[in-house]
Amino acid sequence: MSEEAELLPGTLDLLILKAVSLGPLHGYAVLSRIEQISGQRLFVEQGALYPALFRLVRQGLLKTEWGKSENNRRAKFYELTAKGRKRLQEETDWWKRAATAVTTALAARPQRA
Amino acid sequence: MIAAYLRSMARRFLRRASNEREMDEELESHVQLRADALERGGLERAEAERRARIEFGSRVRFKEECREALGGNAIDQAVQDVRFSLRSLRKSPGFSLVAVITLALGIGATVATFSVVNTVLLRPFAFSHPEKLLWIYSQRSDNPRTNFSLPEYCDYRDQTTSFEGLAGVASFNPTFADSGPPERVQGVRMSASAFAMLAVRPFLGRTLIAEDDRNGARGVVLISYGLWSRRYARDPAVIGRAVNLNGETREIVGVLPASFALPNLDTEIVVPLQPDADPRRNVRNSVNFLRMVGRLKPNVTAQQAHAELEAIRQNLQRQYPGVYTGKVGITVIPLTQEIVANIKSVLLTIFCAAGAVLLVGCVNLAGISLSRAAARQRELAVRTALGATRGQLTRLLLTESFVLALVGGSLGMLLEVWGQRALLRLVPTDLPRIESFSIDWTVLLFAGALVFVAALACGLAPAWLLSRSDLRDALVSSGRGSTGGRLQSRLRTWLVSGQIALALVLLANAGLFLRSFVRLSSELPGFDSIDVQTIRFSLPQTGYPDVATIVHFYDQLHSRASAISGIKSDALISILPLAPKSISFVHFTRPDRPPARPEDTPSTNYRIVTPEYFRTMGIPLLDGRNFTQSDDVEHPPVAIVSTIVAKNHFPDRSPIGQRILVDDTDGDPRPIEIVGIIGPVKQTNLETPAKADIYLPLRQMPKDGVPWLRNSAYWVIKTSGGAAGVERLLRDTIQNVDPNVAVGAVRPMSEAVATALAARRFSLLLVGSFAAAALFLAAAGLYGVISYGIQQRNREIGVRLALGATRASIVGMIFKEGAVLFAGGIIAGFTIALALARLVASQMYGVNEHDPLSFAIVGLILSIISFLACGIAARRAMNIDPIISLRSE
Repeated sequence: MSEEAELLPGTLDLLILKAVSLGPLHGYAVLSRIEQISGQRLFVEQGALYPALFRLVRQGLLKTEWGKSENNRRAKFYELTAKGRKRLQEETDWWKRAATAVTTALAARPQRA
Repeated sequence: MIAAYLRSMARRFLRRASNEREMDEELESHVQLRADALERGGLERAEAERRARIEFGSRVRFKEECREALGGNAIDQAVQDVRFSLRSLRKSPGFSLVAVITLALGIGATVATFSVVNTVLLRPFAFSHPEKLLWIYSQRSDNPRTNFSLPEYCDYRDQTTSFEGLAGVASFNPTFADSGPPERVQGVRMSASAFAMLAVRPFLGRTLIAEDDRNGARGVVLISYGLWSRRYARDPAVIGRAVNLNGETREIVGVLPASFALPNLDTEIVVPLQPDADPRRNVRNSVNFLRMVGRLKPNVTAQQAHAELEAIRQNLQRQYPGVYTGKVGITVIPLTQEIVANIKSVLLTIFCAAGAVLLVGCVNLAGISLSRAAARQRELAVRTALGATRGQLTRLLLTESFVLALVGGSLGMLLEVWGQRALLRLVPTDLPRIESFSIDWTVLLFAGALVFVAALACGLAPAWLLSRSDLRDALVSSGRGSTGGRLQSRLRTWLVSGQIALALVLLANAGLFLRSFVRLSSELPGFDSIDVQTIRFSLPQTGYPDVATIVHFYDQLHSRASAISGIKSDALISILPLAPKSISFVHFTRPDRPPARPEDTPSTNYRIVTPEYFRTMGIPLLDGRNFTQSDDVEHPPVAIVSTIVAKNHFPDRSPIGQRILVDDTDGDPRPIEIVGIIGPVKQTNLETPAKADIYLPLRQMPKDGVPWLRNSAYWVIKTSGGAAGVERLLRDTIQNVDPNVAVGAVRPMSEAVATALAARRFSLLLVGSFAAAALFLAAAGLYGVISYGIQQRNREIGVRLALGATRASIVGMIFKEGAVLFAGGIIAGFTIALALARLVASQMYGVNEHDPLSFAIVGLILSIISFLACGIAARRAMNIDPIISLRSE
């Protein structure tokens, strides 16, 4: 557990959008994709994914369609909408700026007068 | 529009069902996919699925969160909460029943009193912009509310510039006859222009218009909503019908709205004043019979108008010296205030008392649900463990109390609807505007608000407790001695002390009302009402032009009555005692002691009687002689006065044989010799001390009084007991003398005394029963807390007993606990009661509002009841068997 990074609040939505932006995915695949693209460093609690997915659908950022999984199980696939793509871009930009700012701040050395 | 709304609701519910299905399917597919992955990793299928499910976590909780994420499901959630509450309330039927009954009675009583307050005080008056309307009396040195004469009114009307209009109003109680039996009605004569000024809309037909007041205009009459309902069964065809008022034919042109009311005047009928047709129009010294009502011009204040009227009055007094003796000023009161003045504080007191009972009930229920919440801590802890958030649990508890309040409130509303007839029988009949009573949307809205407040009052305490306690501990500690315990018991202490305090306040008020009532009912009215019957009657306009004909009528009546075996004596009087709305007084002077200033001329109640009156009413003759048959026009005029006249105006000598100048005609004051002194009589009500009375014999009455006496007089009869059939007999006796006499209802004099006490009986009855209810609830609350404490500490008590504590010491402990609760409540209660006493001071009679005796007795009653409550609880503790209680856990 200690090696897994805790998700910062608000980042789950961003990660989901990113995961889905690479192609339509069903819920379980979204989890695997997040683990995969984070280099096995970020894990999402399985059940907690769905409320987030539902919220994003309701906000019109994702759309859904029932289909078949790779091993032929019926599953619900999530896909990014145009609005979702735009949001992903905005959030990514914001995240990069914020991360840079925090990194810069943390890199500061004590200055002697 | 409603159909569209229903359709969208239906769609929502259908979609909800499909959403649920989809959600289940999706989550299940997730678990299967995960299991596939685990299976590929080398696990057995069954083990893989098990693992996948555990990894997934609480599916119920995530589904709940998904539903929330889907949004817009507040209604679904509420429905779910309500369904759940109903289920859990069904599980504890005892509590639910007690709660529903408490709330039904509390809300029912509060709504019922509110509906009366609403009708009498809150509903808009029938007038537009009532705040600009003023009611105006002539002020005398001994009475701020007396009347103006007709010429005087006309002068004010013509000279004022402050009012848009000034109308004259006089009481007018004619005999009302149409095809049905004639009856006496209580109404007014009023300037026809008044209706435009008051801006009263007719319920049917029209109101009066300026033309109706013109000399020679066709006779018209308006009837009240009440008279229309009672006499014409709300027949709209009544408009245009001809009726006969005191022998004069008039056409009904309109029905007044039910909310129409004037201060201290009944308005069953309204006829135009027609001042110019009145023979008294230019008689400066004529009778005072008019009050005035005026609408202020915009930008004129009541003070300015008052000052202007005052200036006109002083001018008139200079212009007509000696005519307006005794009139010292003008009394100006806002119209609406004058209508409800007497009843406002009484109604508000009763309303507050009902509200207090509801509050005590709610606090009681809060206490009970607090114990339930404590007992349910395990259940709630389990729910938390299963994923319920604290917010959800709080909502659940509040929903429960809301469901209870809603059921209780609906029952209370039913009680109100069913009981409204009983309620109307209970209220004093002279309550202004009460005939327009109805349960309207304001009442419904109020009831709704009350349900809401009651739900919060009952449910907030346990919900708050929940938010403060750690439920996980409850799960671990097996539900006993949980951490919320101390906080909870402190909260319960406060609640019970609060109940005791409220009960004390109510009891103290009930005590004060009771003492006032007892004082007042023990007031001697000055007459003996036992076996005395009274009948009000009016003689027809034709056939009784002078005193002699009236005397002749009475002589015939008297001789017939004397022949009836059950009648001991009978007499005639112009106005009965305890008649709050009838005023008749005259000014008089002692020739040897003329008043220093004209306005200091004393006045006295003025009554015309026959000689048997004092014997019939049991009023003692204290000195001198009674009237005789020979006190007639052939002999010098004589009078009998009450002891008050003797005391106030003849301190130096006996008034017997003295002459006074009595101003009871349209001419100059005439000398009358005092021949007797009788006891004082309360003429208006029981509260007001007896004032000066002067009685004149019927045979010597001045001819100016003929129309007045013909219009209204009372026949009083002392019977030898046994009221059965007496009414028929008395009415027949009058009708046998003259079938054209309009005869009112036969009313025992004792009923008049009861009516004089009615308002106080009403408030005593209500506040008393509310206090009793509060006392019961508070005692139940106290008992509940103490016995709950004992139950919680069953084990502790068992241990103490096992270690050798005596039962007496256990009982001592319980009583000490009770005493702390009681002391807190009683101190708070006394403080509140004393602070509020000022508000009921105006309703006290012969009792100080801080009356120590009432407070002491009330404190004593409360202590006894509390002692009993503790005692019963202690008895249960005494029965604890240490062995059983130690083994029970």
